[in-house]
Parts: sequence; C-alpha cells; structure tokens
Amino acid sequence: MGSSRAEVLQGTLDLIVLKTLDALGPLHGYGIAQRIQQVSEDLLKLNQGTLYPALLRLEQRGWISSKWGVSDNNRKAKYYSLTRRGKKQLASEAESWERMAAVIGRLLAGTEGA
Amino acid sequence: MGFLRTIASRLLAVFRRRHQEKALDKEFSAHLEMCIEEKLRGGMTLDDARRAARREFGGVEQAKESYRQQRGLPFLETLAQDLRYAFRMLMKSPGFAAVTILTLALGIGANTAIFSMVNSVLLNNLPVRHPEELVLVKHTDARSTEPVEDFSYPMYRELRDKNTVFSALLTRARVDFNATYSGQSERAIGELVSGNYFEGLGVQPWLGRLITSDDDRTPGASSIAVLSYGYWQRRFGGDRSIVGKTILLDGKPIQIIGVTPPKFYGTDLARNPDIRVPMMMVPVFRPVPANRLQNPRHSWLVLMARRKPDVTLAQAQASLNILYHQTLNDELEQFGSRITARNREKYLANAIHLDSGNQGFAQLRHSMERPLLLLFGVTCVVLLVACANLANLLLARSAKRRQEIAVRLAIGAGRRRLVRQWLTESLLLSTLGGLAGIMVAVWAKSALVNYLPAEFRENLQSPLDARVLGFLLLASIVTGLLFGLAPALQISRASVSSTLRSETPSATSGEQLVSLRSALIFTQVALSLPLLIGAALFLHSLQNLRGIDTGFVKQNVFLANLNPSLNGYPQERIKTLYDDLLSRVRALPGVQAASLTTSSVVSGSWDRETVRVQGYVPRTDEDMSPNAGVISPSYFATLGIPLVAGRDFTAQDTAARPKVAIVNETFARYFFGNTDPLGKKIGLNDSPQAPLDIEIVGVVKDAKYVRLQEKPLRYFYTAMAQEPILFDMTLQVRTTGDSRNIADMVRAQVRDLDPNLPLYATTTLEIQIDDSLTEQRLVTWLTSLFGLLATLLAAIGLSGVVAFSVARRTREIGIRVALGAQKRDVLRLVIGRMAMLVSSGMLVGLIAAYAATRLLGSMLYEVGSADPAAFAGASCLLAAVAAVAAYLPAQRATRVDPLVALRYE
Repeated sequence: MGSSRAEVLQGTLDLIVLKTLDALGPLHGYGIAQRIQQVSEDLLKLNQGTLYPALLRLEQRGWISSKWGVSDNNRKAKYYSLTRRGKKQLASEAESWERMAAVIGRLLAGTEGA
Repeated sequence: MGFLRTIASRLLAVFRRRHQEKALDKEFSAHLEMCIEEKLRGGMTLDDARRAARREFGGVEQAKESYRQQRGLPFLETLAQDLRYAFRMLMKSPGFAAVTILTLALGIGANTAIFSMVNSVLLNNLPVRHPEELVLVKHTDARSTEPVEDFSYPMYRELRDKNTVFSALLTRARVDFNATYSGQSERAIGELVSGNYFEGLGVQPWLGRLITSDDDRTPGASSIAVLSYGYWQRRFGGDRSIVGKTILLDGKPIQIIGVTPPKFYGTDLARNPDIRVPMMMVPVFRPVPANRLQNPRHSWLVLMARRKPDVTLAQAQASLNILYHQTLNDELEQFGSRITARNREKYLANAIHLDSGNQGFAQLRHSMERPLLLLFGVTCVVLLVACANLANLLLARSAKRRQEIAVRLAIGAGRRRLVRQWLTESLLLSTLGGLAGIMVAVWAKSALVNYLPAEFRENLQSPLDARVLGFLLLASIVTGLLFGLAPALQISRASVSSTLRSETPSATSGEQLVSLRSALIFTQVALSLPLLIGAALFLHSLQNLRGIDTGFVKQNVFLANLNPSLNGYPQERIKTLYDDLLSRVRALPGVQAASLTTSSVVSGSWDRETVRVQGYVPRTDEDMSPNAGVISPSYFATLGIPLVAGRDFTAQDTAARPKVAIVNETFARYFFGNTDPLGKKIGLNDSPQAPLDIEIVGVVKDAKYVRLQEKPLRYFYTAMAQEPILFDMTLQVRTTGDSRNIADMVRAQVRDLDPNLPLYATTTLEIQIDDSLTEQRLVTWLTSLFGLLATLLAAIGLSGVVAFSVARRTREIGIRVALGAQKRDVLRLVIGRMAMLVSSGMLVGLIAAYAATRLLGSMLYEVGSADPAAFAGASCLLAAVAAVAAYLPAQRATRVDPLVALRYE
C-alpha cells in the first residue's frame, strides 16, 4: 500500500466515466482511458482493458449509449455518449460523492485536531 | 427498472454471442492500435510501442472474460460450457467414469430403495380422500398400558348414531373365506365392513358399485361382496363381466357388486383383504359366538372416523367421551348384579382416546419402524463412505490434471470458475450415478418387498413416487457436492508457477494432498467400523436365535391348515372329517406320526384361556390366563416333545368321558410347586363358581410356542375330541424323509375327503421357524452386506493413497535404498503412517459404535450391545482388510531400484 498509485474503486470508476463523457462528449474507449490518465496525472492505476466491462455495465443500465463511428485517423471505433438518464445519474452520484467526501474530510480533520 | 434493463440486455446477449464476440475483438484491437499510434507519434519504435500498449491494456483475455461475464448470463453460458467440458473429460477416461457411476448407482440406489420403504411404511398416508381428517378411536383399559382398539358392536352403533363430531364413524373386522368359483376353492382374506365404510373413506368404485349403508341394515340379508383390484386381477383375470356374477363364500352364494380401485388396500397397511362384505353378514360368516351384534361384552371391532372439518381432535375426544360413558352406564344397568363393584369401577374408569388416523391402523409401522430407520441410517453411512472414496479418487485425478489446471490458470481462468468447473464435473457424475441408481432402487425395493409376508406385499409395491424421486435428486446433489468439494478446493490452491516449471509436484503441495486424502481414509475407517460391528452383533443375535432349544424336533414336519367350518358344516361332520383325515394321513407311506392342533408352534399366533386351578388362590389382578392349545392324540409324538409324567391323550378321551388336560413343566411348577400335578383339576373360567372339571393327566417338557424369543410360558393342552366347537386346525405330519414330499399325497387325501375343502398355508416346521426370523435375517444380511461394502470401499481408498504416496516418494525411497535401507525399513516408511491413520480411525469408530449400538438394544437376542466378541471380530476383520489393502501397493515401494529412482525427474 506504499504505492502512491491507488486502485480504482468500482463505484468511482462509474462516476469518472460518466463525468468524462459529460465533459468531452461522445468518446471511444481509448479516449476515455487517456482522459482518465491525464486527469489523474497517472496517480490512478487502471488496466485499460478493465474499463470495457465497466462501459458495458453502464450501457446495460441505460446511462450511456454506444455507436460505431470513425475516429480522427479514419479508424472504426465504438463511441460512447451520455444518455439523459446518465446525466441524471451523474448529478446524483456527484452530489452523493461530494457529500461523502465532505464527511470523510471533516472526519479526518477532526481526528488530526484531537 | 435498471435491473430489468440489465437482465433484458443480458438475455439478448446470450443469443447474439458470436456477433458480439467479433464486436469485442474489433473494439479491443481498435483501442490497442490507437494506443500504438499514439506511442509511435511520441517517438517509440514499433516493437516498444506494441509492448507498452499491451502493458497499459493489461491481460486481453482476462479483460474479455470479465467483459463476457458482464455481458450475457455467464452462469448459464458457463454451465453449458462446463457441462460440455465435463462430458468430454469423462469420455476421455471411461474407466474412471464407469467406476464412479457404478459406485454412486449402488450407493444412491440402495439408499433410495430403503428410503422408498421408509416412505411406503412410515410416511405415506392411507390412499383415501383427505386422510388427515381420519382418526382412530381407541379406549383406555385398566388391563393394558396402551389404549386398546377393540369395541363391541352395540357400543359402535351408539357412538356412530349419536356422535356430533364425526361425519362418519366406520368399522371393520377380519374374516376368512373359503371362496369357490367355477368349481375351484381357495382361501381368501376377507373383511367385514360397515355400510358407511367406503363412503366414509371416500373410495370410488373401479367397477360396479360399492357397499353402502342400505346394504348394512338387516343381519344376514345382504349377500353381496366387493372385490379388491388385486384379487380381481389375480383370480378373475380382470374380467369386467364379473360384476353381477355369483361366487360361493363358505358355500353360500354371494353376488359380486363391484371392484375397489388399484391403490386402495383398506385401513391397515399390514393387510390387503381380497373380498369385502357388509358387517351385517357377520352371523353368516362368523357364526360363533352367536350374538356378536348384540353382546356389549364381546369386543371385536376396530373403529375409524372422519372428523368434521371444524372439529379438533381434542374437541372430538371430549365430546365422544361423554357419549361413551353414558353408554357404559347403560350397559352396567343391563348387567345389574352380575358384575362386582370392583369390576364396575374398572369398567367406568375407561375413557375414549383418539389418535390421528391419516396412516390407518399402524401395528406394522410400529414393528417395522426401528429396523427400517436403522437400515436407512446404515445406507446413509455407506453412501458417505462412498463419497469419501470418490473424493479420494477425484483428488488423485486432480493431481494428474495439475498441468491442465495450471495452464488454464495461466491463460486467465478465474479460480472460482475452475472450482465451479470441477463441481460441475462431480455433479454431472453424481447425477448420472443417481439416474443409474433409479434402476438399482427399483430392483432393490422389489427384492426387499418380496421378503415380506404375502399378505401386505402388494401394499408396498408402489412405484417410486414424487417424494422418493425428490429424495433421489437431493441425495445425488448432496453426494456430488460432498465428494466434489475437497478436490475442487484443492484446485483453488494450486500454484501456477511451480507446476508449470516441473513435472513432479512440489513436496509441499503433494504433502497437503496426502494429508487431505489421509483425512478421508480416517473418516472411512471410522464410519465403516461401526457398520461392521453392527453387522457382527446381528449375526451373533441370529446365531443365538437359530441355536435356541425349541423343545421340539423341527426337522421333517409338514404343516397345512384347513378350515371345514367355513363350509358351514355341522360340528359332527367337522369332527368326523378331522378324524378321517388323521387316519388316512397316518396310513400314508413314510408318515411316522400325524396330529391336529389349534395353535401351530412358532407361527406367531396364540390362544390364552383364563383358568381356575385346584388348590391355587390367585392374588388380586394376578394373570390367570396361561397359553393354551387344543390338540389331537399323538401331538407330542409328532413334534418330539417328551412326556415327563402321566400319559398322552388317546382315542378314548372322547366327549363322553371325563375332561382331561396336559400341562407343561412351567405350568406345573407355577401352580403346583413341588407337589404332583397329576390328578389335579382345573376349570376354564376364573369365576369362583366355575366347575373344576378338567383333570390333569400328563406333564410335558417346555417348548417354544409363539415366538423363538419368548420366555418360558405356562401352557396347557386340552383334547380335541372334548372341544365343543372346532374351527380351523393345523395338520402336522412327521415323515421319515423330506417332509415336503408328502404335500401332494396329503392334498390328494383332502380332496378325496371333500373337494370343496382348500388346504392352505402349507409349509414345513423348519420353514415356519425360519419365516419367524425373516425380519432378523433381513436386517442381519443387509447390515452385513452394507458393512462389507463400506469396508471394501475404505480398503480401495486406502490402497489408492498408499500407491499415491509411494509414487510421490519414489526418489526419496531410492535414496534411502541407495544408502542401505532394508526392505523392512522401506515398508515401515510407507505403511507406518497408514497404520497410525487406520488405528486412530478404528479407535474413533469403536467409540462411535459403542455409542450407537446401544440403540439396537431390544433388536438383539441375548447379545449385549457392547458384545466383546462382535467388537473384537469386526475390528480384526477391518484391520486385516486394511493391512492387505496397504501392503499390496507398498510392496511396490520395496522393489524400487535406486538407480532408476534417482534418474527419475
């Protein structure tokens, strides 16, 4: 656990993917993986392959949809985009995340103060 | 909603597998290629870029696999996959599959067969409408600790007509018929039933109609009968035109009005009457005593009732009790002063006792419950031992398949998935075993049922019903899980790298495997030993029973029953017929002696007579009813019972002469102590006014009378010629050679005397005694069989483990031999641990057996449940078998050539 690269929690990964698609619009799997690495500045350890089952799960729940399209380099790729339900889900997950983070933050601050 | 959507999407995926696999491939390769391009742009060489992209992506196959698990219904898909794979693996090793399935078929089949018996005898309800509403009506009695079932007809009528809690109160009584149809006579088992019997039970006719209350109003008026399905098939070949035809029952024309349905056997599992007639026909078919339907002191009926739906058992009992006591009081009024105050008090102390009657009259259940449950327990243990054996076999197989497992783990199979794969394999095996077990169960059950008395064999021949099949399924699954679990868990701990590196299993994991397998051997030994000990106890008990001094000579005695009274002959004719028969049979070649008796020895039936004895003052409540039999002259000569004093009955002891009796030694000792019983008188009634009119003229040695296990009984014989009324008698013939040869000659003589007189229950005394031990013999044989089977399985398992450990330690043994170890040292090395294992298993087994065999108690005859001979014998047998089983494979270790062994690897 000495490593500074943290494992991605499952619920967290969902949130990250939804937020990414919300911010950047339709994107293929590789793009999402890239974005996550950029944003986390390589602090999150993510086997890019494990992203795909998560994408499938989100799609099964109806939060994202997928469509085959053509990439900038003329390559066929599957593009994922946020659905309306996904937007709602993102809002509520983000809210509960913030609440949780605030609680944890307060908790940690309190312990240190004591 | 989201949940439903997920399910729908997954379901869809199951059917679009191939297409989706392609899409997945495309998506992944697009990802990788984009990644590589990116890296190339960053200035990497192609090779480096590829490698880096791969690394970032992680395991492609693992990702695919977890994608697939998310995609479809992985459970179903992998199940199908696992099943296909399991089938392929089994086809590859048909020997292994055959042995496993056979073991399981035997184990599960035997278990199911016994369960099916338990089901038929102990669990099943009567095959009638709403059996849960039925109750058995009994009453308490001062003379008995258990409630008794017998009621008089007047009491029945009162309870039937005046109760408010039953929708029907019905009754039945046993009767035997001499049934004649188209000139052929045979004995048929009959039943007298009340008019509401069929309606109350809710039985519909299979053919024609059944007896109703209208048929049961006037004594002797309804000459009709209903046949059972079995009898109709057996005797009339299922001829539908039989309804309306007339048969002769005891010589009287009776019209057949219908047939009962196939599964219906009545209200008692122990009986399956062939012919049923209305209760009101009792004066015709059971004319003695004459006033059966009127006498309140003659109890001969058993009662069953159907509760009204809204009445509880307790309410019914309370309500019926009031009615019962009113009736008892009325009856006492009638008796007036003829009854003593003490008896009056006893009479009124009786009370109604209701039992639930969903299973009908249950004597058979009581007597078969313990042996059946015992056998069921035994077969369960055998199945457990078989499970342990198969677990062992599978462990050995898993050791062989290490390579395969390691490869599969390495290329991305999840451990849980592998465990499931192995469990699937063992469940497939156990299911196949269970299917084959159905055949074993059907065969074993019919073999078992054939051992039972013919009277109720039909009642138990039900095919395997839903409950039994459910049990079989459950047994298969539990078995599969039990024997599959250990090997499956073993796999989950398999190490990939060490296995792939070398062929030989590493020392530590092999050690683990050996200890797991050793634990299984320990269990098997600990389970098998109690079975063997139980079998030894039963063997010892059976041996004791066979060795009992019966007091008579059982060889070469032919037995047959006949009942001319059923043909309605007057007593004079019956007596002449019996006399003629005796003189004809005595004249046959090869006959040493012949006689008649009312109670054949060790037939299970008995008569008791209440007596008054000259000079003997009984205590209050002393049992003054010794066993008794009515016999013809030369009875003792036929059976070889020695006369101790006095004389046998002779032809001169006729009805006109003073009455005489012969007593046994126990009778003489009990009533006369050391004084001479000859010339003393007894009377057949306990009232002080009864005349002492029978003189004791002889004393004979004690014998066994009812059952082999009985304690010495007081017994007295009276002379047949002096008996006012005779019914059925047993003819017994002592021959010089094999008594069976005489059967046809005796039959010819009877036919010659009276063609309408069937001779039934023909047998020999030896067979009759043997038959009385059927239950003991069956239990002994089955426990021995199962005990040996368990031991054999344990031995096979032990052999396997020793062989495995020898193979594993070949190198070590080689080194030891090279360093100078002797044969003996090697053997000790290999077997030593097994000996420890087996002896500790036996120790636990001995303790378990000591605790368990106490339950056998009353099932054993003159054998203590801790019988040292049985414990020692069984232990020695097991130890010897184990020694052989361990020695054979260990032998191989001593032949290890150090050079070969060291080069190995």
